[in-house]
Amino acid sequence: MLTVENVSKTFNTPGGQVQALKDINLSVKTGEFVSIIGKSGSGKSTLLSILGALDNPSTGSIVVDDDQINKLSGAKQTQYRAKKIGFVFQQYNLVPNLTALENVMLALEFGGYPASSRLDRATQLLESVGIEADQQQRRPTRLSGGQQQRVSIARALANQPAYILADEPTGNLDSVTGKKIFDLLHDLSRSQQTTIIVVTHDLEIAGKTDKTFTLKDGKITTK
Amino acid sequence: MNVVTRGIKNATRSPLKSGAIVLMFAISIALILSMLVARGSVLSKIEEVKATAGTTVTIQPAGVMGNMGGGDPLTAEQIAKITSTANVSSITSTLTDQLGTDDTDLTSSLELGSFGQRQQRFESSTTGATESTDTTTLADRPAPTPRTSVTGTTDANSIATNGGELTITSGEAFDGTSNELIALVGSDLATKNALTVGSTFTAYGETITVKGIYETGNAFQDSGAIFPLATLQTLTDQAGAVSSVIATVNSSDNVASTVAALETSLGDDADITSDAENAAASVESLQGIASLTTAGVIAASIAGALVTILLMFLVVRERRREIGVMKAIGGSNRSIIGQFIVEGLTITVIGAIIGLALGVLVSGPMTTSLVSNSASSTTSETAAEGRPGGMGGPGGAFRGASAQLNTNLTQVTASLTPQIFASAVGITLLIALLGSAIPAWLTARIRPAEVLRTE
Repeated sequence: MLTVENVSKTFNTPGGQVQALKDINLSVKTGEFVSIIGKSGSGKSTLLSILGALDNPSTGSIVVDDDQINKLSGAKQTQYRAKKIGFVFQQYNLVPNLTALENVMLALEFGGYPASSRLDRATQLLESVGIEADQQQRRPTRLSGGQQQRVSIARALANQPAYILADEPTGNLDSVTGKKIFDLLHDLSRSQQTTIIVVTHDLEIAGKTDKTFTLKDGKITTK
Repeated sequence: MNVVTRGIKNATRSPLKSGAIVLMFAISIALILSMLVARGSVLSKIEEVKATAGTTVTIQPAGVMGNMGGGDPLTAEQIAKITSTANVSSITSTLTDQLGTDDTDLTSSLELGSFGQRQQRFESSTTGATESTDTTTLADRPAPTPRTSVTGTTDANSIATNGGELTITSGEAFDGTSNELIALVGSDLATKNALTVGSTFTAYGETITVKGIYETGNAFQDSGAIFPLATLQTLTDQAGAVSSVIATVNSSDNVASTVAALETSLGDDADITSDAENAAASVESLQGIASLTTAGVIAASIAGALVTILLMFLVVRERRREIGVMKAIGGSNRSIIGQFIVEGLTITVIGAIIGLALGVLVSGPMTTSLVSNSASSTTSETAAEGRPGGMGGPGGAFRGASAQLNTNLTQVTASLTPQIFASAVGITLLIALLGSAIPAWLTARIRPAEVLRTE
């Protein structure tokens, strides 16, 4: 269970203070597939960063499975990200000088997975998202956008996280590939009871999720 | 793959950039090592110069220079004071005299010339038979005859004009403490009088045996004879008298204090001169090189550190996003910093190995080049300031010291001691750690949310 209560976030910019999020309240049940939609600059990515403990709210609280994550120490937040959260980014954000396999193994290393089993686990994960053996040895630059996003999803799943936070996961992909990636995430949600929160501006995708939150000017307007 | 292997792999990620860091770091290290070697060589040479050159103090009776002037010789009591002065490690005493035609059967090998005639014009008048000297004109006086200089010494080498050992062309040197009727004869005097080893000649009414023939290359010296000091003192009826003492001080650092002590103990009875200024000039020149090399070590260290830090700084900046992603997927500061430290150390260690090897190769020629340049300038300075060779012993001592200083300068050899190598390795490690700590600090400051927000 993930609960957001009265969360606001203000940034100090050279032009003055900017309130990215205003008094956000929402809750997501375990295993739910949730989307957050809104225009560019509406605060979607900021909310996702706060849910993933990449950033702390200015006010309010985020409770994940009885832990108020915004009150955790930096080291505990890192552990929270390593073990409970899997990130999927629009730009994939794979480490460029590591192969697909090594990228997944890196997440396993950070999650404290035993070194002796990392290779098998990474291979299995990549196979499960449709990355074949020869592609697993390639660096990101030698993979297509769809393949990179699959590797990114395999990496996000590495430590069997309870939550996957995906920021525009299909934003850089063509519609066919985007649909495949969405289906992959959807299947995960159903088969592994993984809670998935997707930030998107694609209404078609949003329509297929269990719940959709709409953000406008930092406020949730529909649930 | 773990932190270490990832760090090493990252070091070869951009061969051009890593190569540039390695190359620049290697050059810095080579410079540091070369400068350390040069500094070590010069510092050890400074100590050597202080111990061997410019350590002589010459004490003469007040008013005496060689065979000129007037005054009383130094007495045995004064010699004892000199010997017991602090820091005086040894002394060489000499007594000089001249043999006239009445004193010896030797014929001087020196032509008197107009200079000699002028020097002897007064003696010529007094040795004349006429009583009324005041009215005698130069033209009226009998023609003067050239004399033979004789030196009594406790060390025949003090006559050598090159500051080293006296060259004995035949026979052998005598024991300076002897009181036998023996002498070393200059090569010109020996030729003029057909003297060989074992020959005898008369001086002061005694028969003197030639113990050896010496040659200095100086016509004045080679026209003289050298006796053991005690022998000449006896022959001239001047027991214990000495006309010049060269005292050797244990270090040129102590020359000034020794001169002061001697001036106090001997008072106005003696003129005291030293080679300390000459030696100080030479040491100063070496100290100049030492300072230069110290500055070189500092400059090369700063340059090496700056190059490494700046390039690693650029590397970290370039990979901010990657670092942000690693933090986002659960990478702790510790593991990411560790990775960058390994990367920095890999590059700097490779650079250090190349640099140290390069340093070993270039440090010798660099030190020799630095010192030979300085030696040539010191030579010209010495030539300009050098004292003219006087009569008797003291001039020879100064010329010898100058020659020794120049030899010392050119003999500085590049020596790579374990201590110097350890210093270079220490500085290298310090720079490497600094070069790694900066990116580590930058890495820790990167906030993943900020990096990913700029997507």
